[in-house]
Amino acid sequence: MDQETVRTICYLARLQIDDKKAQKIESDLETIIEMIGGLQKFDTENVQPLYSPLEKTAFMHEDIESSDNQKEKFLQNAAASNEDYFLVPRVVE
Amino acid sequence: MSGIPLAQKDLFCTEGLRTTCSSKILSNFIPPYTATAVMKLESAGSITIGKTNMDEFAMGSSNETSYFGNVHNPWKKGYVPGGSSGGSAAAVAAGIVPAATGTDTGGSIRQPAAHCGITGIKPTYGRVSRWGMIAFASSLDQAGPLARSAEDCAILLNEMSGHDSKDTTSLDIESTDLLHTINQPIKGLKIGIVKEFSLGDLDSEVQNRFEDSKKLYETLGAEFVEISLPNISASVPTYYSIAPAECSSNLSRFDGVRFGHRAENTGDLNDLYIKSRSEGFGDEVKRRILIGTYALSAGYYDAYYKKAQQVRRLIKNDFELAFESIDLIMTPTSPGTAFAFGSKGAQNPIELYLEDLFTISSNLAGLPAISIPHGKVNSMPAGLQLIGNFLREDQILNAAHIFQQNSAFHLDKPSMEEF
Repeated sequence: MDQETVRTICYLARLQIDDKKAQKIESDLETIIEMIGGLQKFDTENVQPLYSPLEKTAFMHEDIESSDNQKEKFLQNAAASNEDYFLVPRVVE
Repeated sequence: MSGIPLAQKDLFCTEGLRTTCSSKILSNFIPPYTATAVMKLESAGSITIGKTNMDEFAMGSSNETSYFGNVHNPWKKGYVPGGSSGGSAAAVAAGIVPAATGTDTGGSIRQPAAHCGITGIKPTYGRVSRWGMIAFASSLDQAGPLARSAEDCAILLNEMSGHDSKDTTSLDIESTDLLHTINQPIKGLKIGIVKEFSLGDLDSEVQNRFEDSKKLYETLGAEFVEISLPNISASVPTYYSIAPAECSSNLSRFDGVRFGHRAENTGDLNDLYIKSRSEGFGDEVKRRILIGTYALSAGYYDAYYKKAQQVRRLIKNDFELAFESIDLIMTPTSPGTAFAFGSKGAQNPIELYLEDLFTISSNLAGLPAISIPHGKVNSMPAGLQLIGNFLREDQILNAAHIFQQNSAFHLDKPSMEEF
């Protein structure tokens, strides 16, 4: 796990790591990745991945129209909003 | 449950009541709705009297990752209560509430229950709705109760369970009355002991408690059988590939836009995301997001994430085979007892991850498991875990109840003199 890989992962996860903590994070990640790497010794040829313990398809809701507009309630938690929208810095110049 | 006061882990959304997941990023979040599990308990007449501290986003086994500070173990000040449902376990052990809710992704109900000397059950995946629970690892998370006895857990679980159309992984099954099926004789009950867990390597006092409990069950008519779960040693690495991967995906919603902490003095939108997330998440959460991002990234997906899901199937197959000849599995809940703040995991995070050695596999396989107190090790409570077959909460609750009818460990309370 080199510094460049850590920088790339941080960017993908939209996280910034303090310079002071970078070395510790790097070594922690390396330790954990090494531990996970231990899985390679298990023979999984022709074994299907188990993504959920239930292995059932999610059920479908009935296709019934409903109107439950709770816009005001949901906008209340935003740091910045107007009457209709969440506000963010301008994305189009 | 009329009038019964309950505490809710601060991971369940409660309408109009701040829900933080013990994170700075949600420190100002007031949910516009209530989680189904909480709503069901309140509909049954219980009263929510407060929310409980926890490891940040349920990521931890000691409650030391909370943004709001550590929870002390009621049995000893300066000692961890376990985690991540540490606040719920401590509140029940201290007698503040008779019961509380928790969630369990890799042991987060059972391990704190063990460290605080109370009873806690992780139900079968899908028995309790996850709607309104702030997600950590969606294929592993499951809500359940922490209480003083298996009987109290059965009362709460009866109310929390049931199909919920708002959770696509909620099981649509006929409801069973778990109170009705406890107090049955356990003569002939077949209990498996996992040979790969090498219990002989544990602290001798932990082994002694385990042997004492085994003897008690034998005198009550249970039979012990050695079983093999050949892939069980893969549980910890499998979990630490899958759980962070799911966490990195689930926690991508926290970006400072629609709810939660937003950083000030940001530049463009990307900068807003990065600064809000970097200020809002603590170190352990960041570590797990980064591991998960790595495991899911191009070039590594097959080697880490897919591989772990394949090994997960091997683990589940091992359990299925074992349950053909036994009724339940018995292990210690945790390799040790509660430890002093800061004494584990500071240098190497894996040291703390091994706290969940015995609990993680039932989350990977989706099986129900309960922890009950079974005496002390060096004056701190120790937990006994019973793992049941799929949807057999009735069997583990019954076995736990019978144990508690023939012992007094669950009645033991901390003196609280230090507080």
